[in-house]
Amino acid sequence: MTEDTAVRRIEVDAAPTRFARGWHCLGLERDLSDGKPHQINAFGQKLVVFAGEDGAVNVLDAYCRHMGGDLSQGTVKGNEIACPFHDWRWGGDGRCKQIPYARRVPLRARTAAWPTMIQDGMVFVWNDPEGNPPPADVTIPRIPQVDSDRWTDWLWYETVIEGANCREIVDNVVDMAHFFYIHYSFPTYFKNVFEGTSAYQYMNGTGREDIRAARGGSSPVVLGTTSVAAYHGPSFMIDEVTYHYEDMDVDTILINCHYPIDSNSFVLQYGIIVEKKEGVSDDEAEQLAATTGKFIKYGFEQDVAIWKSKTKIDNPLLCEEDGPVYQLRRWYEQFYVDAAEVTPEMTDRFEFEIDTTRPNEAWRTEVEANLAARAATS
Amino acid sequence: MGTPAPRPDVRLDDGPMQSVTCTACAAQVLARKSSWDQTSVQWTEQALAACNERRQTLPPQERPNRNAFLGCSALKESIREAAVRGSLEIQDQDPLKTNPEGHQ
Repeated sequence: MTEDTAVRRIEVDAAPTRFARGWHCLGLERDLSDGKPHQINAFGQKLVVFAGEDGAVNVLDAYCRHMGGDLSQGTVKGNEIACPFHDWRWGGDGRCKQIPYARRVPLRARTAAWPTMIQDGMVFVWNDPEGNPPPADVTIPRIPQVDSDRWTDWLWYETVIEGANCREIVDNVVDMAHFFYIHYSFPTYFKNVFEGTSAYQYMNGTGREDIRAARGGSSPVVLGTTSVAAYHGPSFMIDEVTYHYEDMDVDTILINCHYPIDSNSFVLQYGIIVEKKEGVSDDEAEQLAATTGKFIKYGFEQDVAIWKSKTKIDNPLLCEEDGPVYQLRRWYEQFYVDAAEVTPEMTDRFEFEIDTTRPNEAWRTEVEANLAARAATS
Repeated sequence: MGTPAPRPDVRLDDGPMQSVTCTACAAQVLARKSSWDQTSVQWTEQALAACNERRQTLPPQERPNRNAFLGCSALKESIREAAVRGSLEIQDQDPLKTNPEGHQ
């Protein structure tokens, strides 16, 4: 058989047997530090997140080392979490501090405590299958806009994705064409840069007249968008998007982050803050954040529909107008091997700029056809 | 570990990455162009250490994603020159649409 007639086989490698090393955002501090225990199912385990009187946010294994009670069903007492079964009190450092009915706490009364970090209103937990603490140079960039009066507060969403491994969402960072077909945008410029533990996506887009017409066209016209998005580590993406309207630009900062529940489900979270430009009232900015949130939610639902029915594919067949899927996966692999096994090819700088000429020709034709079809039926 | 080794990009079967030397700092990178406007660049730690533009420190931006190195303009020009000279192959057979000498 020649190459032209041979059927191309989809290859599927074994699913990863561990969870990514790195900082994972669990949610907002304002939601998790309300003095109540919160159950978080992550990294194949059940965790409890709680903040005591000292305000520190702690993450412990949820199962009490005494008789296995679920601490996430317990009560915060002082700076400790009390087990609902026998009231054993566990501190944020993982040590049992007190057993009210016992003369003293037994030796070895220590449970798993996870390193945490509070930054820009978000709670992060460090996962490392090797059990090492977070290196000082593995950080999440600060977002000073969060503390600024000129920006709205976090609008935050959470959704559980069943039936997909979290690596599916990471592929999106290089997948230019899906932004047209799945997310109704129209990329005109697209470039990826991977270096160290970050993966950047520079994308400019123009408005979709056909989508706007289909939606009734009452909202302000978005002429285009400028976006700089980056994964910092395996699961936390910051996306700075500027929406260009006829009369002004509006800056937004989006978070797109996830943590794995197990190998076949994950929690997806996204957050939005919007700059209150001069001439934009607080209400208008909040409204814009809410509208953007709704649009992003819709976009993820479209993604999920694809993920649920697609197969894992480790030998994707790519055309030259596709992004660097293989090189992204090579970068992503660094989070799934021991720190000592990370190779330069996973972290060395790699740049990939797509030629959007041909995609844009095809998409312009499709937009015009959609508009013509709409005009013919209305 | 049992983790499969990362696979190479299938597109490299039709045309591999080729070595390009920057005319500004002599950094060696691997590059590939599928068309005049598509470019892949594989840096090494050595090449990054040699790059002049990389070493320039810009005032820090308060935007979280705006402090990253965007790329080297001298290297970009070197890659383009290599393509114009023909020492860097372009996968797409379409001729350059503009006069390379007049293109900025």
